[in-house]
Amino acid sequence: MIEIKNVTKKFGRKKVLKDVSFTAKKGEITCLIGINGVGKTTIMKAIMALTPINSGEILIDGEKIHKGSYEKITFIPDTITMLPQMQIRDAFVFMADFYDCWNQGRATELLQFFKLKETDRISELSKGNTAKVNLILGLAMDVDYVLMDEPFSGIDIFSREQIADVFTSHLIEDRGVIITTHEINDIEHLIDKVVLLDNGVVLKEFDAEEVREKEGKSVIDVMREVYKA
Amino acid sequence: MDVKFNNRDPVYVQVIRQFKEQIATGYFEPGQEIPSRRELANQLKINPNTAQRAYKEMEEQGLIFTEGKLPSRITKDEQVLKMVREELILEAVDTFVHSVRSINVPVQEALNLVKNKYDREMN
Repeated sequence: MIEIKNVTKKFGRKKVLKDVSFTAKKGEITCLIGINGVGKTTIMKAIMALTPINSGEILIDGEKIHKGSYEKITFIPDTITMLPQMQIRDAFVFMADFYDCWNQGRATELLQFFKLKETDRISELSKGNTAKVNLILGLAMDVDYVLMDEPFSGIDIFSREQIADVFTSHLIEDRGVIITTHEINDIEHLIDKVVLLDNGVVLKEFDAEEVREKEGKSVIDVMREVYKA
Repeated sequence: MDVKFNNRDPVYVQVIRQFKEQIATGYFEPGQEIPSRRELANQLKINPNTAQRAYKEMEEQGLIFTEGKLPSRITKDEQVLKMVREELILEAVDTFVHSVRSINVPVQEALNLVKNKYDREMN
């Protein structure tokens, strides 16, 4: 489980996270929802210790993040971090050099799934295909937790469907996933848990099926209530 | 299996309903093997946890059964199968009655309309 406890983060004087707490379980897909600039990406970076926090605590399976944690949790940012002149296979080699948990078999499988070629050059990929390669780089690691920052943004509908397919396959099963998005439509049926953020604050944290069952509301209904209140 | 889910009913409930319809229409035969939880999740594009929950619920209701490590199967219990069909029919009738009553249609008129419509669609 990933536990975010009372996390506060400031950029200069500006408080971007104000006493943020929520949890994300292994085997579940947790979705952080909020418009741009509410702190979704900052939370992910804080979990990965890519940005320092001012107060609070973040635990991964009960321990603070340390060097070994990067074999257990990975972050897929919304832009690709590989050099543009690399071919996809070069990026794979780079990952294999860096991480013990890199699973080349799975990378190859994902490449076929997305119908990409390992000789494709990163700089020559379309936006959608770049996002797919980025996703492969994260999902081909044998980690327990995957954080994905806006995997659907700016991508055509068919690529979105393809990416959503990944969520229901063995490539995700049993892992803990945190995903940020502002377009919930495509994945409403896929997620277990929703965390609604606004202005650095968690407004509501709920189980999607439970809200449907007990209140007869869709995730979007709840969002409307919370954000328009 | 291609299902369009609505967003307000629990997905697992909608999955169970889908199974009931397929049992009632004979798409699934008694004792027929059904997809694994993972296959179902992938086919329907739903969360594997939701597929798991739907199967658990269906086991409890006696709609499906699992022997040891073998794949789950549709029940062979005639009584249960009969009930599934009746349940669906009653539900449809309820909905129909509810909507014709709200526009004050006398029962005989409604029945005639139903019969005519049936005859026309059968031909």
